[in-house]
Amino acid sequence: MSDTPTVALDSRTPPPILPRRRELLFGTAFATAGAVMALATLLGAYLATRSATGDAWLSANNIELTQPNMMLLTIGMSAVTMQWAVWSINRDDRYHAYLALGVTLVLGAAFVNQTSFLYNLSAITIVQAEGPLFYAVTAGHLAMVVAGLIFLALMGFRTLGGQFTSRQPDGIGAAAIFWYACVALYPVIWFAVYVQK
Amino acid sequence: MALTETRPATDPAGSVADDTRTGPSQIEELIGSGDHLTIGRLYIGFSLLFMALAAAGLALAGVDSLSEDGLLGLTDALWSSSLVALVMMGALPLLLGLAVYIVPRQIGSAAIAFPRAAALSLWAWVVGAGIFAVGVALGGGVSGTDLEGAQLSSLSLGVMMAALSLGAICVATTVLSHRPIGMGLSKVPFFAWSMLVATPVWILTFGSTGAHIFLGWISEADALGLAEAWANGISWFLRVPSVYMLAIPALGIAADVVAKVAGRRIRQYGMVQGFIAAYAVLSFGAWTQTPRALQTFLWIGWVLLAAVPVVALLGVLGDTLRRGSPSAATSLIGSFLVFLLILGGVLAGALQALDTAGSGSLFGFDTMALEWAQGFFLFGAATTGALAGLAHWSPRIFGAPAPEGQGKGAVTAVLLGSGLLATAYLAEGLAGANEQSLGTEVFGALLAIGGALVLLGAVAGLAMTLSAARVGFDVPDPDDDTGLTLEWAPPGLPVAGVAQELAYVNSPYPLLDLRGDDDEERA
Repeated sequence: MSDTPTVALDSRTPPPILPRRRELLFGTAFATAGAVMALATLLGAYLATRSATGDAWLSANNIELTQPNMMLLTIGMSAVTMQWAVWSINRDDRYHAYLALGVTLVLGAAFVNQTSFLYNLSAITIVQAEGPLFYAVTAGHLAMVVAGLIFLALMGFRTLGGQFTSRQPDGIGAAAIFWYACVALYPVIWFAVYVQK
Repeated sequence: MALTETRPATDPAGSVADDTRTGPSQIEELIGSGDHLTIGRLYIGFSLLFMALAAAGLALAGVDSLSEDGLLGLTDALWSSSLVALVMMGALPLLLGLAVYIVPRQIGSAAIAFPRAAALSLWAWVVGAGIFAVGVALGGGVSGTDLEGAQLSSLSLGVMMAALSLGAICVATTVLSHRPIGMGLSKVPFFAWSMLVATPVWILTFGSTGAHIFLGWISEADALGLAEAWANGISWFLRVPSVYMLAIPALGIAADVVAKVAGRRIRQYGMVQGFIAAYAVLSFGAWTQTPRALQTFLWIGWVLLAAVPVVALLGVLGDTLRRGSPSAATSLIGSFLVFLLILGGVLAGALQALDTAGSGSLFGFDTMALEWAQGFFLFGAATTGALAGLAHWSPRIFGAPAPEGQGKGAVTAVLLGSGLLATAYLAEGLAGANEQSLGTEVFGALLAIGGALVLLGAVAGLAMTLSAARVGFDVPDPDDDTGLTLEWAPPGLPVAGVAQELAYVNSPYPLLDLRGDDDEERA
């Protein structure tokens, strides 16, 4: 305890408790909101341009649905494993927290791999009319997923270092907020870009 | 736990090697500082400097347009980029700098959340603003013809938006997570509250405009394409309702200033918070990006409704002032002028809203001019509010009260300058109904005078801060026994904060309560 005398501003001073600061959770939530807004705007621009173009949109390219469907399934499963990690760290179950984080990272990497494969398969170039908007939306989301993976990996290492426990689980929670945003955005992109073409 | 401060020396006894080690220079300390006091002061200083630069550019553009052929032979980019430069290089960072300095103190915190991110925000914005100025000088700006200049300006605009968003996140996170025990969100001071509600609006707006900047880049647009991206995808944040967001913190400043100057607590605390929050919600305008959105009743209602919380807040503050014994300080005058300018912006917005009803051109107003009028009204409101806040908190920021003469001069110059610019554009917009115009020379002269007045206001604001800083440089924070909120706590009084978790704050006006002043209103 510090030697500095403390003056309570109210006589009803409660017993001392260690406040949970939740800095990382709030900061991540704000930053995630900005990223989601940016991607929503890109998607809006994509839909508006596609609507104006009509049937000619992406008529020269063939986008298979197999990969987008698998990607949807993959990233959907990763939401479950992410929540598994949050649940585990909140109960000091470190073994399951590591396992859940590892599985989430693998699923995320699989999503990135499938996206790369889909890009090669669809052969959409950046110089064609649809290219900039197509890649702005899908690669913008891919960039979010990669950022989420890096965030997860960093928080995973910090968990290994013992920095997160049930008393201080904010790092995992913050990574989860960002990851859930990535997951929630993908079904919208899947439907608007891949299904409706 | 994250390491947010420099690790202390591990060898307190020292060694021979330590004796030969030289400490960081003052410049290195300045650049590497994560101290919110330093970051806030730097934000304030740089923003006033850049505001003066942008205003000078506008004044020169006005002089240039006195002749059809261009009196000075300057680029059009100076004029077309002036408003966005005044907002992004002047008004918003000035408010943010004030918030970075004051908000942690208002809630009794010794530090800002994510101090290194706050420092990154400052330096990224400084670099972005510098590059933007270079881009405009090259003939780029937001709708210039020089490709390299336009690319530089587009990139730097994105950098400034990201940097200001990051700084706002630091401030809002501080409000959410650094409050002392007992201080619920319903008890945070109004400026802190206004920054908390402004941050999501700023982030969402800049997230959306940033997406359009990104699109312009990946589509490898030429100068014309970048100008189109600005006109169709980005410029909407400078028209109603989005442009209202500039003045959200100014409302919080006004409420705090009035309570302190009147020496009275604001009775309807929750209602005032609600008014500020309602105004913030009504300033969210990312959904009005497309022209079709401007032809809806929702947009018209949205634009007009913003006047309701503003007038209601004005009424509450007027009542508070009536119960006190205020003096005509710069801060108080500036606080009330904020409302005048916001309502001017609402009026310009209402005219545009009425005009776009139905098919989109009911009266045939020049809507582009009306949008510029809205921008200048709200720029004026934000800057006047920031200057009022600067004068109000000067004893805390610079250690000495701001000179009243310079303060009043700065506020008056900004009011007259932005008011003149906005009124000129308003007149131009209304004249469009009869397919008339003010004439290039008259309009150019008004721009030049308005720009010069804003320049004068920025310079006077800078002089005010420098004067206060010079006087108070070696003076510790002066005691102020009239303060109501925690930023006025005397330095020796440990109150809530990181190092004193035991302190308990259970009132919006803890210092007033602590003094036990005769305050019949507390009950």
